[in-house]
Amino acid sequence: MMSYYLRLAFISMRRNPVLSSLMVLAIALGIGACMTTITVNYLMSNNPIKHKSDVLFHVQLDNWGPFEAAVDPNDPPYQLTWTDATNLQQAQQGIRQAAMAKSGGVVEPADPNIKPFQAGYRLTYSDFFSMFDVPFLYGSAWDKQADENARHLVVLTKEINETLFGGKNSVGQSVTLSGEVFTIVGVIAEWHPIPKFYDLNNDDFGRPSELFIPLQLKRTMKLPSWGNVNCWKSPDEEGFEGFLNSECVNFQFWVELDNPAERSDYALFLDNYVNSQKELGRFPRPLNNRLNNVQQWLEYNEVVADDAQIMMWLSLMFLAVCLLNTIGLMLSKFMGKSSEIGLRRAVGATKGDLFIQHTVETACIGVAGGLLGLGFSFFGLQGLRALYGEFAHKLTSLDMNMAILAVVIALVSTILAGLYPTWRACSIAPASQLKSQ
Amino acid sequence: MLKMENIAKVYRTDVVETHALKEFSLEVNEGDFVAVTGPSGSGKTTFLNIAGLLETYSAGRYFLDGNDVSGISDAARSRVRNEKIGFIFQGFNLIPDLSLFDNVDVPLRYRGFSSKERKQRIEQSLDTVGLSNRMRHLPAQLSGGQQQRVAIARALAGSPRFLLADEPTGNLDSKMANSVMTLLQEINQQGTTIVMVTHDPGLAAQAKRNIHVRDGQVSELHEVNTEHTRDVVNG
Repeated sequence: MMSYYLRLAFISMRRNPVLSSLMVLAIALGIGACMTTITVNYLMSNNPIKHKSDVLFHVQLDNWGPFEAAVDPNDPPYQLTWTDATNLQQAQQGIRQAAMAKSGGVVEPADPNIKPFQAGYRLTYSDFFSMFDVPFLYGSAWDKQADENARHLVVLTKEINETLFGGKNSVGQSVTLSGEVFTIVGVIAEWHPIPKFYDLNNDDFGRPSELFIPLQLKRTMKLPSWGNVNCWKSPDEEGFEGFLNSECVNFQFWVELDNPAERSDYALFLDNYVNSQKELGRFPRPLNNRLNNVQQWLEYNEVVADDAQIMMWLSLMFLAVCLLNTIGLMLSKFMGKSSEIGLRRAVGATKGDLFIQHTVETACIGVAGGLLGLGFSFFGLQGLRALYGEFAHKLTSLDMNMAILAVVIALVSTILAGLYPTWRACSIAPASQLKSQ
Repeated sequence: MLKMENIAKVYRTDVVETHALKEFSLEVNEGDFVAVTGPSGSGKTTFLNIAGLLETYSAGRYFLDGNDVSGISDAARSRVRNEKIGFIFQGFNLIPDLSLFDNVDVPLRYRGFSSKERKQRIEQSLDTVGLSNRMRHLPAQLSGGQQQRVAIARALAGSPRFLLADEPTGNLDSKMANSVMTLLQEINQQGTTIVMVTHDPGLAAQAKRNIHVRDGQVSELHEVNTEHTRDVVNG
């Protein structure tokens, strides 16, 4: 019987091509607008490391001044000082831990045909790669000795390896960074966590830094501080060392803790650490440390922009308006079939038979609208990409989940919208229609 | 076969109450060919709609095939219509986008027959009305008389116990009307009970019995073939 209903649906759609097309178009427009904004929200609110979200923790310590909180109403600063980041790193209290910061400089390729260019550096520790499951194309991360000795070793992203070495295995080759020669130990494969959870200070949805080097090189090479630098008081000393020893925050710190007991132990360790620092005259504020896992950290940072959410709600309202139009069109279409409905009732169709028949027709319109809406979403996302460029690049990709969601939303919303017209069609009194034809 | 006892049908609006049928009593026996005549608004079509379970009634009892169908559910009424009653309408009521084959198929679809049996029944009933060679045509490609023949084929396909025809020749010229009437007589001779509403006394005279309806009541019955007239029931 289902194949019969499907055939009747296609015949009915063909009978009123204009009305059917208008319905499909109305649904497609609503779905297109919705899916464009839902996709942006979905990718913004994505947890890029779900499988380890509960064991990776971002650390915040409240080293701020006594009279004003770093973040209202009473939150610690987002980042740590050099002193605290390196102290926590040396303490090695987690299973893995990595202090990190953003820097950058000029890259001078060995090949004279490639012009020098400026690139971002991610200064970090070797645990970064294993902690965040960073995939390697060639080679591997540097070892812990390289961390301690600030060796001139570098891990490249796939993209910069393409630029410098045409994508070939460059492990063992050299590259000059900020005037000093580095040996390449690894090249990572495609790795674009969205959002860039490990450093949400700038460009939450941007690309990862193009070069990874040991954090201790910050001191030895006096590498500049990129990203956000915030201080509640001026450094006590002049110069680069003065900055490193100051209360200025520019460093992120992540630690891997496998279970709640380890988390409690680590929280206690942080309290003890801050108390020990208080004895040195630092941390004037009451204890106010934070350990947020990845999901908590994303939520705390409100990664999904308010305007993106507002746009999503507006587009849902637009879908509702489109569906209201569809209800009207469907009502008109089904009422136009009154005599056929009356006849079917007369020759033995129950209300249930007619309900299924018209619901199948509605579903066909919904699926057609969903598929066309998917096309509209694709163009909508392309439009966003054209408007916002690189920022939006990673937020404007339709994946299979979104494609299925589009069709499901179209199907369910159209069937819901079709309930009233379908009910009206099923309620037609056969006797009233048969005489009138 | 069909027995109505004191059926009443009242249409109510906020301001007016119309009695379409009043104490309407009638019995139609198996194999009958009954023509129902009467002026416009007399209640002929209301009677036919109630007989075909297309409308409910306000009072009285209705027995179809010996079963009281007065209080049965909407779904049960659909089943009875599908299995026992065939309808022929003045306006043919064919679905314009469906071929003749698919039009005749409509009642069979709700019967749950296998596709093989449906095909067999459709071909047989289109053959009965002389249109088996045009099964894939659309209704618009046929004349009015041929369209009414398709409607008759549709009514016959489910092998109903009786046919209800509402002005079946009302939209046809006299030649076509006679041909349709001849077809109905043949169908009746094969054992199908027919109740036909008509305005045309000539056609009514070709039925076995005539019923005249006036003001929602049966006013007289004629046994046409015996030329015997008797006063009736509601007298």
